[in-house]
Amino acid sequence: MFSTSRPAKILGLLALSALLAASFAISRSARHTELTVLMEPDGTGVWRGIIAGFNDAHPETPVRLVEGPPSTDTREDLYSTAFLAGRGGYDIVYCDVVWVPKFAAAGWLLDLTDRLSPAARIDFLPADIEGGSYDGRLYRIPAFTDAGLLYYRSDLVRAPETFDDLARDAAEYKTGDRAGYLWQGKQYEGLITNYLEILWGFGGDWISSDRRVLLDSPEAVQALRFLQSSIETISPRGVVTYSEEETRNLFQSGRGVFLRNWFYVWPLLGREGSAVQGKAAFVPMVRAAAGKHAAALGGWGFSISRFSSNEDAAWEFVEFATRPEQLMQLYSKAGRIPARKSLVPQEFQEIVRNATPRPRIPEYAKASDILQRWLSAALAGLVSPEEAIRNAARETRAVLGG
Amino acid sequence: MRKGNLWFIPSLLLIGAMLLYPAVRTFALSFYRMDLATSFHPDFAGLSNFARLVLDSRFHASLRMTTLFTATTVCIEFAAGLALALCVDEWVRGRNVVRTILLVPWTLPTAVIAVLWAWMFNDQYGILNALLLRTGILQSPVSWLGDPTAAFWALVIADVWKTTPFVFLILLAGLQGIPHDLYEAIEIDGGGPWVKFRRITWPFLARFVFVALVFRIIQAFSVFDLVYVMTGGGPGGTTETLSMYAYQTMMRYLDFGYASALSTATVVILALTAAVLYWLLLRRHEDLA
Repeated sequence: MFSTSRPAKILGLLALSALLAASFAISRSARHTELTVLMEPDGTGVWRGIIAGFNDAHPETPVRLVEGPPSTDTREDLYSTAFLAGRGGYDIVYCDVVWVPKFAAAGWLLDLTDRLSPAARIDFLPADIEGGSYDGRLYRIPAFTDAGLLYYRSDLVRAPETFDDLARDAAEYKTGDRAGYLWQGKQYEGLITNYLEILWGFGGDWISSDRRVLLDSPEAVQALRFLQSSIETISPRGVVTYSEEETRNLFQSGRGVFLRNWFYVWPLLGREGSAVQGKAAFVPMVRAAAGKHAAALGGWGFSISRFSSNEDAAWEFVEFATRPEQLMQLYSKAGRIPARKSLVPQEFQEIVRNATPRPRIPEYAKASDILQRWLSAALAGLVSPEEAIRNAARETRAVLGG
Repeated sequence: MRKGNLWFIPSLLLIGAMLLYPAVRTFALSFYRMDLATSFHPDFAGLSNFARLVLDSRFHASLRMTTLFTATTVCIEFAAGLALALCVDEWVRGRNVVRTILLVPWTLPTAVIAVLWAWMFNDQYGILNALLLRTGILQSPVSWLGDPTAAFWALVIADVWKTTPFVFLILLAGLQGIPHDLYEAIEIDGGGPWVKFRRITWPFLARFVFVALVFRIIQAFSVFDLVYVMTGGGPGGTTETLSMYAYQTMMRYLDFGYASALSTATVVILALTAAVLYWLLLRRHEDLA
């Protein structure tokens, strides 16, 4: 048995509390100058490299990267929680394009309009600038852009142009082990982007920029019916449970003719070990005669928290991280498409030009959930497409008050 | 105050800060409007959040789903847990080993289990479809999580698999506390197995049944992670639970007043259920308890 004398205990306790106090003092003094940013896990190490480059040049205001969970929704919640707590949260916001209206309307983001000079602004992609704006003010500087596109098996089919081409070729080249058309039908945000691209392709729309609900149109029903009729004809039954990765895995292992997905899939398809290496190509999403080749705009950029105690240093980082040199690193190391006109690779230009932001309203999450639920209900056969669209339009109007 | 009671103060402070304060604040907030439109300032709104509950079809749907899920899983888990406990109680050699093995599912994190089950129910890669197709029971793959009824049962199966061990463990503890000479006394009086169960086992077990049921009902009624990972509330919102709805309202819609009303409603329903259970199970056995 150990026995410790009383003075020794007291001494130990004192030492411990001194240590604690010292560590608090250190972290307090560090907090004055250190900037923090929450991002996805940095698998390729490209962000760590960019941040190290900034920290070398700005040793007095270094940026600390907090690698958060890979799920976008979870990081959105983490940012919301930090904002609600006020000071002491993250200084820099690594911001998804769909977060901007909500965060800006809540007053959590710094207005960056006057910090970005018109000359600097002109090189960024207009859709990405639009996506980062709310109420005419700019809150987010885009870093890389993303858009939905249609991959196809170039060894089997020719590049499709219309919905009919897609449906016909998918039906012809599907086999017992190869799906015709792979898309994301799970009840989540991805379903919205899939549906919107088809809705726009038929010439319809969801919510106008002046907050009017345009959903109850024949085109909206047509678009939903297109997705619904693909199930069990050219798409597997399970498509209503798929998100991006399930469909990417199927296509990459040679088990799909067409795949709707994002830019990130492209480098993976050409990689060693891919069953479709050299056998895949992509086009903008197909359309009907009345519609356009549409792509839902995704992409990430940087905003600054209103609660940051070091706005100017945070801006220096945002400006640094979105410079061409850094965005080119992001492209070469992580396959991310730079959100600058001058840097978009030739083959992606047409799709990037077609990319359209989703409705920029503070109530976006709620409007999206309403549409997700009704689309998913129609795809599961619980209601007819007409009824789903009618109900979604009605509920969305109730939320937007118009 | 006795000196020993002083030691309670830290834990009381902790409970007060971590449990009592949030609970009281949530209850208070449910009478306020606090959202984006009020710039997160609480505006007193009386009972309007609760009036909204009455008319909210999404609340009704999630309440129905949560109740159905709770009733189904708790019934199955109770029956299976009791059967297992009665078996293992009779077992003398190797009981500890069996008990440990049976506990494994309960010790794993729910989110991990949910991912596991989601893969097993996957229509292309899932083991369930592979088995059913190979044995010829199915002709074409079924999308388990894409159909409302199948998705519900998939969630029930995953939950039963995970939490039956909890019921089993509590009931086994109860069984092992029953003195064996009581059974011998019944045997002398010529009573059969049913009389033994009715006169000895059940009255002794009632308190444990109450504990197991109350814990399970509370956990099942507030289920979140399992459903969030496996179906995300889909298809068509049919598997959305109350706590998922409250979470979405709070974190994604930033509607704190209404989210608090949803949470308050959940707590009230649970408290009433626990009271009814107490009345049903323990009132008559109070002399034994």
